[in-house]
Amino acid sequence: MSDLATAGRLEPRRSPIQVGLSTTYVTLLRWTFAGIGAMLPLIVVVQAMLAAGIIIGFGFIIPNIDAATALYLSTGTPTVLLLTIGFVMVPQGVSRSRTDGTFSYMRGLPIARPLLLAADLTVWLIIGLPSVAVGVMVAQLRYGIALSVDWPILVVATLLATLMATAVGYAIAVSLPPLLAQLSTQVLVFFVLLFSPITFRVEQLPDWFQTVHDVLPVRAAADLIRAGLASDVFEASLRDLAVLTVWCAAGVAVSVRALVRRP
Amino acid sequence: MSDDVLRVDGVTRRFGSVVANDGVSLRVRSGTVVGLLGHNGAGKTTLVSQVVGLLRPDDGSIRVGGIDAVAEPATARRYVALQPQSQAPIDGLTPRSAIEMAGRLRGLSTRAARAAAESLAEELDITEWIDRRALPENRGLSGGIRRLTAFAMAIVAPTPLVILDEPTNDIDASRRRLLWQAVRARADAGSGVLLVTHNVAEAERIVDDLIVLNHGRVAATGSPARLRGATGTDLRLELQFPPDAADVGAPDGARVPFAVRRTVRVGRRVLHTIGTEEAAAAVTWAAALRERGRVDGYAVGPVTLEDAYLSLTAVEDDTVPAPAGTEAAAHV
Repeated sequence: MSDLATAGRLEPRRSPIQVGLSTTYVTLLRWTFAGIGAMLPLIVVVQAMLAAGIIIGFGFIIPNIDAATALYLSTGTPTVLLLTIGFVMVPQGVSRSRTDGTFSYMRGLPIARPLLLAADLTVWLIIGLPSVAVGVMVAQLRYGIALSVDWPILVVATLLATLMATAVGYAIAVSLPPLLAQLSTQVLVFFVLLFSPITFRVEQLPDWFQTVHDVLPVRAAADLIRAGLASDVFEASLRDLAVLTVWCAAGVAVSVRALVRRP
Repeated sequence: MSDDVLRVDGVTRRFGSVVANDGVSLRVRSGTVVGLLGHNGAGKTTLVSQVVGLLRPDDGSIRVGGIDAVAEPATARRYVALQPQSQAPIDGLTPRSAIEMAGRLRGLSTRAARAAAESLAEELDITEWIDRRALPENRGLSGGIRRLTAFAMAIVAPTPLVILDEPTNDIDASRRRLLWQAVRARADAGSGVLLVTHNVAEAERIVDDLIVLNHGRVAATGSPARLRGATGTDLRLELQFPPDAADVGAPDGARVPFAVRRTVRVGRRVLHTIGTEEAAAAVTWAAALRERGRVDGYAVGPVTLEDAYLSLTAVEDDTVPAPAGTEAAAHV
């Protein structure tokens, strides 16, 4: 028999030990990373292939690609990769965990439930960051464009864009029934790839659609990351930063509510 | 002072027009193992979900370790360790790391969590697999080892209330015995254990008290001996009917020629509870039925908890009206 079990009779009314938030967070981080971590090499390969698909594939669609278009395409690709992780991989993972009982299991643990989201966001952030390097690398190989990196902007923009995409993806997965959430992710991929001014200029869209993109987080994320990668050509805007922050906060709020609520 | 680690009073929970729990009341005291029995859909998991704060009751109160679990679910969760019916999410982990992490989340130091993992692996005889990684699609570790790991994760640290939902699914017979010993040991050390199961035979051997849920309501409570029957000397006559049997209530077209205390039909089986004084008449009658081909077989033995459980939970259509000459109605 375990020493722990026989270490004396419990006092049922005695309050069990309150575990510190940092211990809980680190433990959950290890747990989450172990579950997703096995897929990490696969995710990097898929991201590299997706990057190649966008950069080389879009090159076929647009004949005689000029330097300005190539720069736009190259600096937009990392955003597509980050949004794909947040809008597709995260909701699919969360939907799966809701279906197989993992979501309920974790919520039944004696932990502050928002930490579950914090651990997930951290892990996906770690998984997402190589995407920027992968995207830039593929673009360099194809077009050999010259980048002028503004590191503070690039770091803030990448972190915020990844957090926003992950939080929104999480919110979608916890708000919709699993099947509907998975369908929504497919629609979002098309929206990000074809209907969002990430790899092409916003002026190519109708005016009303440009206005829609002013309040959606996609263009804001793309433009901020672009300003971080090619600061000589593109300028970061505070408005984009604000839009991203608001979407990030909304995604976190909806996700935390779903984690703590008891229907 | 009450030593209740779980007290549920009049809990009602509806899903639309379906009443999953209908005024359920129960208590689990420190040092006891309480079985929560019921068919699929009886409302067992709904009740457990409310105890751990996954669902909110529409009515009634739940106190865990003296804490109001409806008002303070996060605090109450620290007093309860749950092994749910679904497998624990341990893909990517070894049993050792999974048990250690569960221990850390329940307040054990790194060293104590490590010691607990070693000790539990020995106690449950899973040392051979303790460093083997669980992989997606149920690879790496078998369902039984995963289940035992989940059990170890639930009991890794002393907790006032332990809830085990079908903990022996997929587990081989020898390790089931170890698991039941471990459950008993935790209760003896002071925990209250709520064992959710539909395996009546196993529950009968381990629990101190039983609660039978049927269609969301408490159908009966008490010790296994009490639920088995008051006399303790009753017998069960089990008749196995052929598939084309026309009337299982009166197989020879006449009244059952002895006093029957309780009758339950389960599929093609009919279970009569009788007094010992009726044994000879019952065997003679059953043997004659078998000779005439009215029944495929029969058996006489001591009354089990299963008989009582089936009579409590049998759907109305399946319960044979007590034959003429009986002393008791079909339901106790």
